[in-house]
Amino acid sequence: MSGVKLEKIVKAYGRLEVVHGIDLEVKEKEFVVLVGPSGCGKSTTLRMIAGLEEISAGDISIDGRVVNRVAPKDRDVAMVFQNYALYPHLSVFENIAFGLRIRKESKGHIEKTVKEASDILGLTPYLDRKPAELSGGQRQRVAMGRAIVRRPKVFLFDEPLSNLDAKLRTQMRAEIKQLHRRLGATSVYVTHDQVEAMTLADRIVVMNDGNIEQIGSPMELFMNPANTFVAGFIGSPPMNQLQGNIEKVSSGLQVRINDTVIDLPNNTNVEDGQSVVLGIRPEHISLSNNEGTSAMSISLNLVETLGSEALLHAKFGEQDMIVKAETNGQIDHLSEISTVYAPTDLVKVFDAKSGLVLSEPFSQGSNT
Amino acid sequence: MAVGMNLYSRGDKLFALATSVLIGLFTVATFYPFIYIAAVSFSGGFAAAAGKVVLTPVDSTLAAYKYILTQPKFWISYGNTFIYTIGGTIMSLLIIIPGAYALSRPQLMGRRFWNLFVAFTLWFNAGLIPFFLNMRDLNLLDSYFGIIIGFAVNAFNLILLRNFFESLPQSFQEAARMDGANDFQILWKVYIPLSKPAIATITLFCIVSRWNGFFWAMVLLQSEEKIPLQVFLRHTIAFLSDDHEFTATLSSQPYSAESVTAAIIVCSIIPVLIVYPFIQKYFEKGILLGGVKE
Repeated sequence: MSGVKLEKIVKAYGRLEVVHGIDLEVKEKEFVVLVGPSGCGKSTTLRMIAGLEEISAGDISIDGRVVNRVAPKDRDVAMVFQNYALYPHLSVFENIAFGLRIRKESKGHIEKTVKEASDILGLTPYLDRKPAELSGGQRQRVAMGRAIVRRPKVFLFDEPLSNLDAKLRTQMRAEIKQLHRRLGATSVYVTHDQVEAMTLADRIVVMNDGNIEQIGSPMELFMNPANTFVAGFIGSPPMNQLQGNIEKVSSGLQVRINDTVIDLPNNTNVEDGQSVVLGIRPEHISLSNNEGTSAMSISLNLVETLGSEALLHAKFGEQDMIVKAETNGQIDHLSEISTVYAPTDLVKVFDAKSGLVLSEPFSQGSNT
Repeated sequence: MAVGMNLYSRGDKLFALATSVLIGLFTVATFYPFIYIAAVSFSGGFAAAAGKVVLTPVDSTLAAYKYILTQPKFWISYGNTFIYTIGGTIMSLLIIIPGAYALSRPQLMGRRFWNLFVAFTLWFNAGLIPFFLNMRDLNLLDSYFGIIIGFAVNAFNLILLRNFFESLPQSFQEAARMDGANDFQILWKVYIPLSKPAIATITLFCIVSRWNGFFWAMVLLQSEEKIPLQVFLRHTIAFLSDDHEFTATLSSQPYSAESVTAAIIVCSIIPVLIVYPFIQKYFEKGILLGGVKE
């Protein structure tokens, strides 16, 4: 089992603790993405797995072996760096072959392995070029080639796409996903881009301030965020979070926000009068009054057109909210909107103090 | 652009003019000694001694060259200078390159102390007599090896190269470590090839400083057969000036102490002039790269 296990991992620089005892298990062949804002400890965690940072406490196991004091080269992991870290004085071939040469592999083996990797990555025509003569995407592929030829147990990616432009990033994202399917290697991927996390991951680990906020499949995190941080981080645009108070009435549970009441599912674990945060995904808000919805009067500030969809930036009382609406090729009617509808069964309720979710999780047929 | 529009103000033009004049004067001041020394070396002995040479040779002759080129000691000292320069430069690079790499590593234990230890010698040193006594006690007086090893480490060069190594992205080293390279392999296969400009720069610094090395060679070397060219030059000047028979008949001699001195200087400049163009492109780049973090 070439999985990775982190147990109570702590990283401190002197007195400053940046990772506070996290636990994580990455299963064999799994693609796990660590995501979070800058400074949340995700890159530090990855570098601890790689052996580039010492751990201050806890245990890291790779393939069932504790590697706390094992040198990076002996951990059987390969890493793709944010800035590619290609050696400018070496050709593409030599860059890919570097690790094999260091390990004194035979010439025939090196040529065969590099050729296989370059075929997979479409780099064969560029093997004699220097990194400076390649495009950003090609350089990224060389960096991946360097990792592939080692046939490591675990691949580590440290924000590998953040230096690419948006179009290339989308393309490379798909290539990484395909590569993972093809090689089936256990992968840990760090990014601050939640779209990358959602599209690539089997499971996402949301980190914040040196702690893990939630671990789950992309859809679990999207539909059942464990707290307001995850609700605000996963999804684009993020979940609307509106302050309100619980009211228990004969017909069921409601949350009162200003003069508006919004119905809640009856299985929500709340007390009468409790201060809560109501979470509604912008894409779950409806423009038409369907059954099982609550009306919300809004004043529209701005309509952002994305093509097939539009983002309506609005005020609900004093609070900001965003609604994602289908355009069907027309946007004129959207600027007239003054009432939208929150679906009772899709809203989430969080405790206003702790930020923890109070709603029961949605059950889903499939998580991915 | 509108016709007649002036892109430069009067101040800009004045500045450009003043800069050109200053650079011109500096060039003349730097270049003239070369012309003067060359002219003196080809001049007659009396004209050279009497200070009649200004720009071109007076009473042109090759007598000074004939005199020095037939001196066996000239060739021995010339050979010695090559030994000190090549041996000393290789020794310097062998110590400075790994030293700079070690000092640039964040994981070096006591890194701040070691860096301070090196930088300290930029401003303070033990002084002439303690250094001499140290060399004497190490049995390094009057020895080739003493000159080569005694001046192998120059703090300025060490810091210049350390700064260059520090300016290389950390991920090069990390990627190599993950590929299984040890520090020697990282230095040899990654850092040295990426640091050619900086290494060429310190190589040239070492070559020039070794080639021109005079004072310590004079102090530490007693044997005539071990002295470098610069010390031989001084001995020749002293010898010809003290030779009263020679100075008394100076007006009838084809060379003088001045023209012989100039001829030796011209001979000593030639190898550096030959080497410089090959390293110049790296040299200019390296000076900038050492100080500027990319």
